[in-house]
Amino acid sequence: MPGRAVRAKAKERPLWLLTPGGLLMVLVILIPLALALWISLIDLDQYTLRRWIEAPFIGLGNYTEAFSSGLLHSIWISVSFAVLSTVATVPIGIAAALVTQNAYRGRGLVRAVFLIPYVLPSFVVATVWRTMLQPDGVVNEWLHRTGTLWLSGPHSYWTLILVEIWAAWPFIYLMALAALQSVDHEVHEASAVDGATWWPKLRSVILPYLRGPVLLACLLATLNHINNFTLPFVLFGSPAPDDVNVLPMIVYVTSFQSLRFGLSAAMAVLSLVLIAIPLFVYLRAVRLDVHEEGGR
Amino acid sequence: MRSGRMRLAMALTGVTTLVAALAACGGGDDGGGDGKTLNVLIGANTQYPEEFAAWQKTISDKFKAQTGATVKFEQFASANDELTKIQTSVVSGSGPDVYAVGTTFTPTAYSTGAFVKMGDAEWQKVGGKDKFNPATLGISGPDASNQIGIPWVSRPFVMAYNTELLKAAGIAKPATTWDELTQQAKQLTKGDQYGLAVAYKDNFDPWKFVWGMSVQAGNPLVDGKTARLEDPAVLKAYETYFGWLATDKVVDPAAVGWTNPQAVAAFAKGKTGYFLLTTTTATNSLDQGAVKGKWAFALLPTVPPGATSRPANGVEAASILSGDNLLVADYSKNKDLAFEYVKLVTDSETQLDYYQKFGNLPANAAALQSLASDQKLAPVTEAAQKSVATPFTGAWGDIQLALTNVAVQSLPDLAKGSIPPATISTRLADAQKKAQSALDRAK
Amino acid sequence: MSASAEATRLLPRSLLISITTVLVAVVLLPVGYIVLASLNSDVGVASGEFWPSSFSLNSYDKIWTTADLSTGIVNSLIVCAATAIASALLGTITAYVLVRYSFFGRLTILRGLVGLQSIPGTLMLLPVFVLFSSAGNYLGLTVIGTRWGLFLAYLTFALPFSTWVMVTYLRGLPRELEEAARTDGASTLVILWRIIFPLSLPAIVVAGIFAFLLGWNDVLFASVLTRPETHTAAVALQVFGSAQEGGALPVYSQMMAAALICAAPVVLLYLIFQRYLVGGLTAGGVK
Repeated sequence: MPGRAVRAKAKERPLWLLTPGGLLMVLVILIPLALALWISLIDLDQYTLRRWIEAPFIGLGNYTEAFSSGLLHSIWISVSFAVLSTVATVPIGIAAALVTQNAYRGRGLVRAVFLIPYVLPSFVVATVWRTMLQPDGVVNEWLHRTGTLWLSGPHSYWTLILVEIWAAWPFIYLMALAALQSVDHEVHEASAVDGATWWPKLRSVILPYLRGPVLLACLLATLNHINNFTLPFVLFGSPAPDDVNVLPMIVYVTSFQSLRFGLSAAMAVLSLVLIAIPLFVYLRAVRLDVHEEGGR
Repeated sequence: MRSGRMRLAMALTGVTTLVAALAACGGGDDGGGDGKTLNVLIGANTQYPEEFAAWQKTISDKFKAQTGATVKFEQFASANDELTKIQTSVVSGSGPDVYAVGTTFTPTAYSTGAFVKMGDAEWQKVGGKDKFNPATLGISGPDASNQIGIPWVSRPFVMAYNTELLKAAGIAKPATTWDELTQQAKQLTKGDQYGLAVAYKDNFDPWKFVWGMSVQAGNPLVDGKTARLEDPAVLKAYETYFGWLATDKVVDPAAVGWTNPQAVAAFAKGKTGYFLLTTTTATNSLDQGAVKGKWAFALLPTVPPGATSRPANGVEAASILSGDNLLVADYSKNKDLAFEYVKLVTDSETQLDYYQKFGNLPANAAALQSLASDQKLAPVTEAAQKSVATPFTGAWGDIQLALTNVAVQSLPDLAKGSIPPATISTRLADAQKKAQSALDRAK
Repeated sequence: MSASAEATRLLPRSLLISITTVLVAVVLLPVGYIVLASLNSDVGVASGEFWPSSFSLNSYDKIWTTADLSTGIVNSLIVCAATAIASALLGTITAYVLVRYSFFGRLTILRGLVGLQSIPGTLMLLPVFVLFSSAGNYLGLTVIGTRWGLFLAYLTFALPFSTWVMVTYLRGLPRELEEAARTDGASTLVILWRIIFPLSLPAIVVAGIFAFLLGWNDVLFASVLTRPETHTAAVALQVFGSAQEGGALPVYSQMMAAALICAAPVVLLYLIFQRYLVGGLTAGGVK
C-alpha cells in the first residue's frame, strides 16, 4: 500500500517539513507524558508533593491499587457512554450537514445556530441542563413527571448521554459538512440526470464521500466523550453517583481532591492503554490509516 | 500572480499582528524599580463584585503607602480551582505569596509542608497572636506550636428561620435540639409549605450535618489514627438527616436535587420554616426574595438526635469552625511583605470594614467584640464562639468525601421514600474503609 | 433557486424542512432558556423558573465588573486565533507530507497521532505545569502566565487533530495539479502555498474552528497557566459559577449573560468564515 504513495525520489521527500510539528509534540506531549509515567510509579501525594523528585519509588503499587478502587467499573461506564453518544450523534450530524448543503435564504443563520451547542462552554451547558433537570425543574414540568430524578441514580447515566449528544453533535456535523464539499458537482448532476431518487443517490453517490471523514470523526468524538470531564463534573458534582463515575471524574477526584497523584496517574495510564487497544483495532478495521483515496 | 502576492502580504501582516499580540505584556512582570509585588490568591466574590474590586484597590493603596510594594490579587473561582492552583504552585515552588484558604482545607495544606509555620517572631510580625479571637485559631495547625493558618474571617454556620411562619404555627422560639427541630418541622409542614429546606445534593453540606450530630453525641469521627464512622451515633445522624425527607416528609421532595444555593432560593420564597446550614453571606440573597424582612438567624441545635440533653462526652458544637485562613507560602521571596499584608487585613479597622461590605465576621477579637451589640447578629457571634474545629489531619479531605458519598449514593432511595438502616450501614462500611486507609497514609 | 441547485438537492424538500425545524428547535430550546435566565433574577433561576417573573437587563451590565470578562475575551481571541491559524497551517503541512510521501514510520506517526488524542487532560496537567515552570527556573524563560505559553500548549493539543482532518481531506484531492506544477519546477513550499492551501480551504477552516474552540473552551490548562492579566474568557466565566462557601447564590443570571456574550464572537467569526466552507474544490477551479 505505501508503495502507491511513492512518487518522488527519496532525496526529494521534504521530510523536514515534519519537524516543527514533531518538535512541538515531543516538547509539550511526549516529555510530560514520560513524566506522567514516572509519577505513576512513585508514591506522590500531598505529603511528598513538595519534594516530588524524592518521592519513594513503589513500582507497580499504584497500578494494583487502581484496580481495586473501581477503575474497571469507571472504564466500562466511560466506554459505553462514549460509544452510545457517538452512535447517536452520527446520524444527527450527517442529517444536519445534508440539510445545510444546498443554499437557501437563511442558511447561514441555520448553520450558525447548529454551531451554538458546540460553542457554549461545557460548564454553562452543564449548569443549564442541571437546572432544567432538577426534580422540580422545567423538564419534569413539561413531561408531567414530577419527582423523576435525572441527576442521581440509574437515570443519571442516560442524562449524561443525552446532554453529551446535545452538546457534541455539531462536531460530526462540521466534519461531515467539510467532507460534503469534496463531492464534485458533476457527480451530483450526473446522478440527477440519471433520475436517481434521493435515497439511492444519497447512499451510493454522496455517503461514500463522507466515509473517511465521518469514520475519523467517530473516532475522535468517542475519545472526546471519554475524556470529557467538565460535563459530568458540573452536572452531577463530586462525589459523583456510581452510575456516572466516569474515568475523568475518578482520575480528577483522586488527583485533585484526594491529592494522590501517583495513583491517579496510574489510573490514567491504565485507561489510556485499555482505550488504545480497541482504538488500534478500529483503525485497522476501517483502514483509515492506510493510504486510500477517501471514497473513490 | 498579483493576487497571490497580495494574499501573502495580508497573511504576513496578520501573522505579525498575532505574534505581537501573543507576546504583548506576556512575561508576568514583577513590577519595576524598588517596588516589589506581592501576589495574593483570594476567592472571587460574585455577590458584591464592585465592592470587592474597591476593597482590593483600598488595600493595595494602603499597602503601597505603608511598604512601597504593590499587592496583586489573583482570584480563584471554586475550591477545586484553588486546590489545583495550590498543588501546581507547591510542585513548582512558585506562585502566589499569600493564600486565602477555607478553614477545612488548612489540614491538607499543612500536610504539604509548603507553608510557613508561625513562630513567635512571625506572630509578632502580624500583630501578635492575641489579637485574634481564640476560637478561630482552632484550625490553624495540629497544635499551638505548629500553626500555619492565620485566621482572617469567620463564617460560622447557623440556620435561618421564617419568623412569620413560626409565629403562625404557634412556635415561640426556634428549636435547640434536633428532635425538637423535627417536631417543629412537622408542625410547619402543610399544603405547599414545608418545615425545612435542606440541600441534599450539595457537595459539602451532608458531611457537615453528620459531623455536627456525631460530635454532639460524643464521636468526633477521628480518634488519633482511627476512623470511627461505623458507629451508632453516625448511623443515627444519617437516619435523622435522611428521615426529614424520606419518612418525616418535612422537606420539599425536590430537595433531593438541591445544592445549597437552591435551598437558599427555596427558603427565600417564604414558604419554608427553616433553612438549615447557612451563613451571614446569604443575607443578600435572602433579602432579594419574598422572605425579606421576615427571617432571622438562629443557632443550630446542639443536642444530638434521639436525646433531650447532650451526653457527658458530647461537645456543644454549634458549627464547624468555618471561615478563611491566610497562609504564607514558604517558597515566597517576599515573606516579610506577606506578613505586612496579613497584618494589614487582620487589623481591627480593616476587618470591620470587610464585615460591613461582605458579611464575613472578623477573626480579630476587638473587631468581633465591637459587633456584640448587634441583636440580629447575636446568634452568629454565639455560633462563632461555639464553633468546633474538624479533626486536624491530612486525611480529612478524604473523610469528608467519603461521608458525602454516603449521601450521594443514597439519593435515589431517598426519593423513593425509604432507606433501610442496613443500606446506610453498608455504605458507611465503605466510607469507613476509605477513611481509614486515608488515615493510614497520613504522615 | 436555480435549476442546477434543484438538481443537486440532496434531500426532498419536506424532509429537509422537517429535519431543519427539529434540529433548530432542539438547539434553541435550551439556548432560549439561557437567554431567559440571563434576563431573570438569580433567585428566580435558582428556584427553577423557565419564564422569569421579572425581566431585567441588569446582568448584561454587571458581568463586566464581576469578572474581568473583556480582558478574558481579548486574550482568548488572540490565543485561540493564533492556535487556529498555526495548527491549521502546520497540520496541513504535516498531513501533506504524510499523504503524499511514503517513508519508514509513516503509519506509526499516523496512529500515534490518534493515540495522542486519547491522553486525558488531567494526566497532563501537572507534568505540563512542571515542565513549563522548570523552563522558567532553569532556562530563565517565563512561560507560565504568558499568552504564548498557553498558545504553545493549545497548539500542541490541536495539532494531532488538525493533521488528521487534513490527512483525510488531502487524500481526496487529485494530484494532477501539483504534479503539473512540479514539472514546472515549483518547490514543495510553493506547491503548498499555491495549490494545496487554496484547494483545502474548507478542511482548513474546519480544522481551524476546532483548534479555536479547543482553546476557547479549555479551563483546566488556562486556569493554571495564566495570570490575571492573561486569563482567558473561559477562566473569567468560571468565576460566575462560584458560590461563596456557606450559602450565597451563584450569580446564575450573570453566568448565562456572560456565556452568551462569550459565545457571540465565535458565532460571528464562524459566520464570517463559513463562506470558505463551501465547495473548496469548485472554488479552486479543479474539475
